[in-house]
Amino acid sequence: MLYKVLDKGVYRDFVKALISEYEFIGPKKKDRSVHDFVPIKDISELDTNYIRTTIPAAKKILFPPNERLVTYEIGKKIEVKPVIESGEKILFGINAWDINGMNFLDRFFTTDFIDENYISKRKKLIVIGMDSEPTETNFSPSMGAEYAKDGFDIYLTELKDKYFIRIATARGNEILEKYTKFNDAIAEDFKEYNKYMDNYRMKFKMSVDIKSFYDNFELIYGNQEFWKRVAKNCYSCGSCNLVCPTCFCFNVRDDIELNLKDGNKTREWDSCMIPEYGLVAGGHNFRPDKENRLKQRYRCRLKTFIDKFGKYACVGCGRCIEACLAKINIAEDINSVKKEVSV
Amino acid sequence: MVLGVQEEESKSTIYVPDIAKIRRIKQISPIEKVFRIVLDDEEKQNNFKFKPGQFVELTIFGLGEAPFSIMSNPDNHEFFELCIRNVGSVSGALHRMEEGAKVGIRGPFGNGYFPYDKMKNHNVLLIAGGLGLAPLMSLIKYILNYREDYKEIMIIYGAVNPESILFKNDIQYWSNRKDISICISVDNPDDKWTGEIGVCTKLIPRVNFPPEDTYAVVCGPPVMYKYVVYELEKKKFKPENIYLSLERRMECGVGKCNHCHIGNKLACIDGPVFSLWEINNLKEAI
Repeated sequence: MLYKVLDKGVYRDFVKALISEYEFIGPKKKDRSVHDFVPIKDISELDTNYIRTTIPAAKKILFPPNERLVTYEIGKKIEVKPVIESGEKILFGINAWDINGMNFLDRFFTTDFIDENYISKRKKLIVIGMDSEPTETNFSPSMGAEYAKDGFDIYLTELKDKYFIRIATARGNEILEKYTKFNDAIAEDFKEYNKYMDNYRMKFKMSVDIKSFYDNFELIYGNQEFWKRVAKNCYSCGSCNLVCPTCFCFNVRDDIELNLKDGNKTREWDSCMIPEYGLVAGGHNFRPDKENRLKQRYRCRLKTFIDKFGKYACVGCGRCIEACLAKINIAEDINSVKKEVSV
Repeated sequence: MVLGVQEEESKSTIYVPDIAKIRRIKQISPIEKVFRIVLDDEEKQNNFKFKPGQFVELTIFGLGEAPFSIMSNPDNHEFFELCIRNVGSVSGALHRMEEGAKVGIRGPFGNGYFPYDKMKNHNVLLIAGGLGLAPLMSLIKYILNYREDYKEIMIIYGAVNPESILFKNDIQYWSNRKDISICISVDNPDDKWTGEIGVCTKLIPRVNFPPEDTYAVVCGPPVMYKYVVYELEKKKFKPENIYLSLERRMECGVGKCNHCHIGNKLACIDGPVFSLWEINNLKEAI
């Protein structure tokens, strides 16, 4: 990691240069309370002072809701071709917990089998991170996700009259060298940065006792009363999955054109909360009850991947809490486990 | 073409199926057919090596993909066979296809397979319910290839009625051999049926293999497992010597789509064959 500083006076020109040189994706104000990461053509569209985005930026680009995996042509022979997207892009202004969500997906899509469709896009994605204000439902410090240790090329932190820059890759260094002027960070800069981080961490109002949830999960696992209570109001709509930066379930569907010759395989996001998720041919459903489905979601997010490769599949962004129509609150549920097992 | 999307010729991905031909179709029951499949690429077919209990993902172009267990002899590299019941959309379409038709194949998949190596120098008890005999077929064929490596072999097979009994020729062949025994039970006998009647689990108490020297492998509909396990545990079989092939929705086969998760495991990459010891630790597996 290289630690540098960028003068605020040159920031705008730096961003302008990136917008003109690259396919540039950044936060744009959508309405009063929501921003969305979209292609930016002019710096006037860019608004990095965002609080809320619905669909996580990195997931939207790397694992889009609909993605063509394979095309084929049915003739005398059947020709099958993979679809690999390989355009270079800049993702600008993504915050720490969404970078950590992406880091989880990076790990997931390269474990056991390499998912070329994901990883070829990831390799070409230049990530420039920036802090954003947390929402009231954000508990990412509890998940260790309010600070990004890796996964970005450049991370910009706005201090009083300069940006503190962390450079994690040679690619990031090259871009800075090419498009702007920057200096080494000195002791005062580090001090100011540390003070900023202390203040920043104070902004997160919600916290969870994730350790006690993890430790007590096996104990609470068979307590159907508890899970019934937690899932009582669940509509099985899957909104929590759609907004989650680490949810990765998908279906693959075969589509064929009206000419009955050209077809493709497309993956689309799926949701573990909808009843058809566990259905197999013959009509047997392995998870017909909503309490079992929600329990499985909590296990997948908060236990499975700690056991598998030492990462939570939850960064504490709090989007699922805001998106839930039934007001199911994962943070409260995590915290309720300790009480439940102690009585 | 979408902007910035390039279709690269050379690269293959985990989602790209190989083209294969249905060389032979044999109807073996009113609702089941055996499909003999050969990959178009000769080299790929020669290198298509699978272990008993593994499965492939079969694509019908324009319709979709579904997982099927391989049932043929693992030592045969000229082709492989799938026994498929006409029950879903992909299997239904397959049943309407004719010999010579082209399909897509990915696989073989599954790191959990029947432990044919560990079973050597032990007795093997195979318990199949209905279509569950299909995945066991490749294990039975493997064991018969190396028969002298194993001790006693017994197959317990339960079918709904005599008409639905699968692989009748193979069963006839096994019955004629002295070194393998088979017991079949049907739920609904017809007038000509002289064999056992009822669920196959009731045949388990009669097995007199010493449990410490025996491996049991089980494959059948999800509802059957609890009862089979109950009977095997009564006979003091060790959980680590009981292997079950679990059915789940293994949609991608490569541990990505997550539909087949059982607790912390995935049926497609950790299974689909698990020992009972593993299953007991997965809670809602059976």
